[in-house]
Amino acid sequence: DKLPYTPTLASTTLGGLTTASTFVLEQPRCVFTEVQGGAVIWLVVAIPKAVDTFNDTVGPGTPERAFQGFPTSAPAYMTLNTTLLNYPCPKPPGEITVLRVGSETSCAKDERRPTCNGPLPGPGPYRVKFLALKGSRPVAETNWSDPIMLRTARPFSGIPVMGSGRSAGMIALTSILSILFAILLAGLVALLVFWGSDVCGGSTFSKSEPVTVRRYNTHHVQDQGAAQL
Amino acid sequence: MAKSGDSIHIFQGLLVFGNVVIGMCGIALTAECIFFVTDPHGLYSLLEATENDDIYAAAWIGIFVGFALFALSILGIIGVIKSNRTLLLVYIILMLITYAFEMASCITAATHRDFLTPNLFLKQMLERYEKSETVNNNDKWMTEGVTKTWDKLMLQKQCCGVRGPSDWQEYTSAFRIMHSDADFPWPRNCCVMDAQGSPINLDGCKLGIPGYYNSNGCYDAISGPMNTHAWGVAWFGFAILCWTFCVLLGTMFYWSRIEY
Repeated sequence: DKLPYTPTLASTTLGGLTTASTFVLEQPRCVFTEVQGGAVIWLVVAIPKAVDTFNDTVGPGTPERAFQGFPTSAPAYMTLNTTLLNYPCPKPPGEITVLRVGSETSCAKDERRPTCNGPLPGPGPYRVKFLALKGSRPVAETNWSDPIMLRTARPFSGIPVMGSGRSAGMIALTSILSILFAILLAGLVALLVFWGSDVCGGSTFSKSEPVTVRRYNTHHVQDQGAAQL
Repeated sequence: MAKSGDSIHIFQGLLVFGNVVIGMCGIALTAECIFFVTDPHGLYSLLEATENDDIYAAAWIGIFVGFALFALSILGIIGVIKSNRTLLLVYIILMLITYAFEMASCITAATHRDFLTPNLFLKQMLERYEKSETVNNNDKWMTEGVTKTWDKLMLQKQCCGVRGPSDWQEYTSAFRIMHSDADFPWPRNCCVMDAQGSPINLDGCKLGIPGYYNSNGCYDAISGPMNTHAWGVAWFGFAILCWTFCVLLGTMFYWSRIEY
């Protein structure tokens, strides 16, 4: 029978919620309450076109449901089989209960493992549902989820590198330094021109050796002073 | 006579003081540029791979300009005290040459800092990190440098990618060619590591549970030291040049007034 539960992606705080070939679902805790022990709960992953024609009775592990043939020869596959013991109810608070679809890379090409939880082959979209089988008889199923799109990576050659523009600081620095240098060069040229022509002889400063002014103490100056007294 | 004698001495004193400051700033510039050239943060490989490492060239020029400023300031002090026209002319010309070099260094550092944008490092990281087929020796050298630097950066600064781990998801990369998306949504070094260098929870890291992987980007850890480097060389050099401008103008004026 159909349970009123729709599988959803896990909470969005997870950085790896959807990648290019995996996605993370919330575990179906407290959903399969009527199902007795001994039933096995499977995850069905299908392309949207196969949803309407999906036949519950086709068993997992058959070529029609093998992961390795997805999505060409097997428009839906079944994986992540587990018993109800792994989905205990109630869910302990604070625990992260998720299912990562696409995490098994070792068996992705292994035909002997048709129920492999291999990485998804393309960006999707995909629709999933949970199906409980007792032996090979379906006993309960959830709704189909909304279409899940995975990420597509853009080529890195398209990243624009140039065109950052010039910052104001750099323009100010360049222009001020250029102006100062130009003034200095002009000053040097003026200096050399004046040195050559020697127009402004420039005798305001004298050499800084101490100028000795010799006092002329001649005899007759002293004699005059003595004579006056 | 006494009054102009005083003003000579004051002017000489000012010029000597100006030259002393230039000498000390020259030593400081040399020390600062040596510090930057030694690359204490280990980011040189990233710049080398972008083929845009001119802020290092600016720092090298700064080392030699600093020495030159120190030597010339001593020459200037002697020239001013002796009031020797020849010495001072030599001083002025050599100082102008040094001025030109320092100007080049400042402008280079400031201009090339503007090239170092997040996109530049992002593209380089995606292109070179863990690239497997290298074309020639130069390519191999740059790839190894980039890979080692990023590994060390992500481990030590606890960061991932340039803007965040989503960089590895949003764009294709050389890393993605080598490692499948399901096993390595982002490099292992983005995971929080324990003391032995292995992730504390690999599944948590792959899922992207906060606390088990580094969710912040490395751009701040890269741009911080590079900004310090570039602005340190450019603006300290600018300050020295402004001061040198005043001292040189004063020296030219003094030279023109020396009795021939």
